[in-house]
Amino acid sequence: MGWRLQITHTTRVSYDGDARASYNEVRMAPLTLPGQTVLGNRLTIEPHVPVWSYWDYWGSEVSSFDLQAAHHSLVLVARSTVETSEPPPLPDSPSWSELAACVESLRLEEYLAQTPRTELSPELAGQVRALVRGAEPHEAAMLVSGWVRDRVAYVPGVTGVHTGAQEAWEDGRGVCQDFAHLTVAMLRELGLPARYVSGYLHPDPSAAPGDTLEGQSHAWVEYWAGDWVAHDPTNGVPVGECHVTVARGRDYADVPPLKGIYHGAPSSTMDVRVQVTRLS
Amino acid sequence: MSTGLLSRIAETLFWIGRYVERADDTARILDVHLHRMLEEPSADVDAGCRALLAILGVPPGDDARIDIGTVLARLAYDDATPSSITGALQAARTGGRSVREVISTEMWECLNVAWHELEGRRRAAERLGPHAFLRYVRERAALFSGLADATMSRDEGWHFLVLGRSLERIDMTARLLSLRMPSASYAPDWSMLLRASGADESYIRTHGGTGEPRLVASFLMLDRLFPRSVLHALTLAEDCLAVLDPDPARAGFTDAARRPIGQLRTRLEYTDTALLLEQLPELLTALQNTCVRATEAVADKYFQYALPVAWEQEG
Amino acid sequence: MADIFDDYQPAAAWDEMFERAGVPRAAYGPVLAALQPLDPAELRFRADQLARVFTDRGVTFDYAGEERPFPLDLIPRVIDALEWPTLERGVRQRVLALEAFLADVYGPGEIFKDGLVPWRLICSSAHFHREVSGLTPPNGVRAHISGIDLIRDEDGRFRVLEDNVRTPSGVSYVMENRLAMTRTFPGLFAEHHVHPVDEYPARLLAALRAAAPRDVADPVVAVLTPGVGNAAYFEHTLLARLMGVELVEGRDLICAGNRVYIQTTQGRRPVHVIYRRIDDEYLDPLHFNAGSVIGCPGIVNAARAGNVTIANAVGNGVADDKLIYTYVPDMIRYYLGEEPVLANVESYRLDDPDKIAWVLDRLDQLVLKPVDGAGGKGIVIGPHADAATLDALRASVTADPRGWLAQRPVSLSTVPTLTERGPGPRHVDLRPFAVNDGEDVWVLPGGLTRVALPEGQLVVNSSQGGGSKDTWVLAADRGSAQAPEEPPIPLPRAFADVTVPQGGPAEGAQQQ
Repeated sequence: MGWRLQITHTTRVSYDGDARASYNEVRMAPLTLPGQTVLGNRLTIEPHVPVWSYWDYWGSEVSSFDLQAAHHSLVLVARSTVETSEPPPLPDSPSWSELAACVESLRLEEYLAQTPRTELSPELAGQVRALVRGAEPHEAAMLVSGWVRDRVAYVPGVTGVHTGAQEAWEDGRGVCQDFAHLTVAMLRELGLPARYVSGYLHPDPSAAPGDTLEGQSHAWVEYWAGDWVAHDPTNGVPVGECHVTVARGRDYADVPPLKGIYHGAPSSTMDVRVQVTRLS
Repeated sequence: MSTGLLSRIAETLFWIGRYVERADDTARILDVHLHRMLEEPSADVDAGCRALLAILGVPPGDDARIDIGTVLARLAYDDATPSSITGALQAARTGGRSVREVISTEMWECLNVAWHELEGRRRAAERLGPHAFLRYVRERAALFSGLADATMSRDEGWHFLVLGRSLERIDMTARLLSLRMPSASYAPDWSMLLRASGADESYIRTHGGTGEPRLVASFLMLDRLFPRSVLHALTLAEDCLAVLDPDPARAGFTDAARRPIGQLRTRLEYTDTALLLEQLPELLTALQNTCVRATEAVADKYFQYALPVAWEQEG
Repeated sequence: MADIFDDYQPAAAWDEMFERAGVPRAAYGPVLAALQPLDPAELRFRADQLARVFTDRGVTFDYAGEERPFPLDLIPRVIDALEWPTLERGVRQRVLALEAFLADVYGPGEIFKDGLVPWRLICSSAHFHREVSGLTPPNGVRAHISGIDLIRDEDGRFRVLEDNVRTPSGVSYVMENRLAMTRTFPGLFAEHHVHPVDEYPARLLAALRAAAPRDVADPVVAVLTPGVGNAAYFEHTLLARLMGVELVEGRDLICAGNRVYIQTTQGRRPVHVIYRRIDDEYLDPLHFNAGSVIGCPGIVNAARAGNVTIANAVGNGVADDKLIYTYVPDMIRYYLGEEPVLANVESYRLDDPDKIAWVLDRLDQLVLKPVDGAGGKGIVIGPHADAATLDALRASVTADPRGWLAQRPVSLSTVPTLTERGPGPRHVDLRPFAVNDGEDVWVLPGGLTRVALPEGQLVVNSSQGGGSKDTWVLAADRGSAQAPEEPPIPLPRAFADVTVPQGGPAEGAQQQ
């Protein structure tokens, strides 16, 4: 039996001085998928402007808007109500040797190619291959995820949105974005198509309906082994009732919750808050 | 004229008008003064050169003595600043290149050929003296004005070009007349000022050969018919602004560019010529301020396209 | 009779003018007849005059920060009346196939599902822009303007060298060259019936207007230039002027509420079709290079919303990829169900280890091209390369086989070209320009013939010491209709004419 979750994602951008001619794209609307149903979602913007939306190449819903008049701050509130469900059973995986043919026939090549953010050193790539020698694809994915958790400590504030996988690995510290980038990168080295997922996480798997908790904007991975399998390497758990999927792509650059440019003072501060309520 | 001209193009035409006029006026001023200095060995060359640099707003630098060569280098041949003839023509040509599709091919070629030719003319001037160079500049400026007159539609672009030219002409004439201020250490005679403005023959036909200071000043400032007089240029600038924005207000004028020009034009028209010489210093200051204010107001009103150059990212 | 072509010796390539030394091809007869009597010094004088005229007019391209005239050679290149329709058909066919391919890439992807072109080539191309996936242009056209580069091989067969469906440049030289030639040799054009080239701006404007968003009755078109510093700035101004549309820079445009406006002295004016001469990467800082200050943020979403049309479409570069080029003949069969009219140059893809090894063994006998290079950049002509270059090439190819394409070296055809020592054979290519208005693909008669001025040089490009030639397409029939002559009206004169009375002796008119 799944959960019904309400998410309120508030982003407050403050500018040092006037910002003008601001152009923005927002990816904060959860997707309706097998195992996840969106009951409603709404984006409000202050200052108020009309919003236009489209579906991008990766299947994410994008809201775009522009603000021409001078403003000192920008506040976005994305509210959604979503039904989630337990993780589905693992699909039967093709063997390593069958995978290559599947990649070509299903056109999964772009999930195998590394991006600048997921590029790994040849040494690290070699270590990954050694780590999983003899394992089947699902096993290999779990070994990689476990290895990342063993070797990288969850420390907020050390890395940023532009940090690459290799960099986080060498530093040994990072947040969910770095865990997801590293896992995606390593799975690709093994020949498993893998993608980066952006979404929300309810922090308490044993929460009772009615409580509102501080949640977070979260990231995890999906890899293809017979079908797409979602896995959360930061917490080492399958993706289930606590996870809400918003956008998927090759890495963070394909799925940023807020992306924009404007004219004005170069410095701005962004304050993000996610509140999640289990409704039922 | 309902569709409007690109703001960037309007601004470029405005400045082409100014730069070509500046090159023309600077060439006239230099020609007359250098000629005089070369003719009169007794003249105080250093003071004269300093005065020339000063009225054209160019700092004299650290040289103990300034000679004609320095003045030419700074005011005629320097290509790094639009305060010099070469720099002004180069700026006009660069501007012309960026508005090629709205000016006639002949106007563009006139600017382009002048720019390509200038270096050769400068080298010739080293052997033959600056007169031929300065004459060439005046001819190109005249050709440009003539081609604009003959080939350009009287649309917005034309009015911005003429507006720029008129404001520059007011500014340059005011600068030239300031040489006769009582405080000036070097004071060319009045007939030289007439020649530097291309006004000598016209003046003589009007007032005869007597170079009475009051008459000369009033000719250069207030003459209604001579096209290089300040009043004539002010009137023309005002006409351009009136066409650009007919301003249907029932009382007063809302156009911030037109107001200072109209005020000054009115004041000049009703000036008592008998008192002109006494009022001249104050009037010249007012003229230069008016040019600055009008230029700013025109930019605010019509050239509002230039956003800051960099984009900032968020997220 | 001694003439300037007496000493002309064709090189080891197809010569466009001479079958063999001393035996001209029929199409060139009248050109020869006109040029033969001219003194070489006279020709040089006219050539210098021409260069001067180009400089004065600012018909230049920017090379290393300097404005240079694009050298025009006085000996025209002639295309036979019987040959041109085939070229025209071949170019049209190629453009239609590339259009269908682009629609497929950014749409359903049928050709990949059917296994004709590997998807991996697309998703690994730097010019595949996912940002425009699913964006369908109003009249379906993505390549409003194409330049298909052709060469003629040793056997006289035209082949396609590469496709340019991003922002092909050079059409301004076609028009300027013709203008210059008619002024330099007025007599020549009276003898020949040469297809005119001045129809291009009107065709282009019509195609751009046809591409406008559907609900716009009277679309406003603008040409978007990176600015005066761009190598092809002259062309941007010429096209804007001849089409009578605004030439804008990024800072003249404002995108608000998914619509694009031009900032004017009277406020904002909407614009509906933008013929942009800015690369994709700089067009929209919101989606591409965020540091770009020459683009217009929001323009891609305005196009997605159907409020503005960008010509050529964003993402076309995927079809210019040299590896995709090797599939174009298959595309023609797949999408159009036709056999290709124009063949490719024999090419070898480096897509399996055996082929890579085969090519690496023969680097000194092949031409190697970077797959996303433009303007002849990075091309290595094996037979002409020294050992160090070949070693460097070997390393590059081994490191990134996807980045290279191997081709048989073709000795491009030659046309006599004026040199210091009289006419000499110089290699040429041909870039016909095609304009697609959604109903029909129109091909400008002729196109730009670029000539490699250094002797033996096979890379033909303005940035590599190239010049150009006026390109004549001869018409099959000669127009003979002449407008009846009107009697001339004399100019009015200020003073009463002193005329000679009719019939009387001249002296009789003299006043006593």
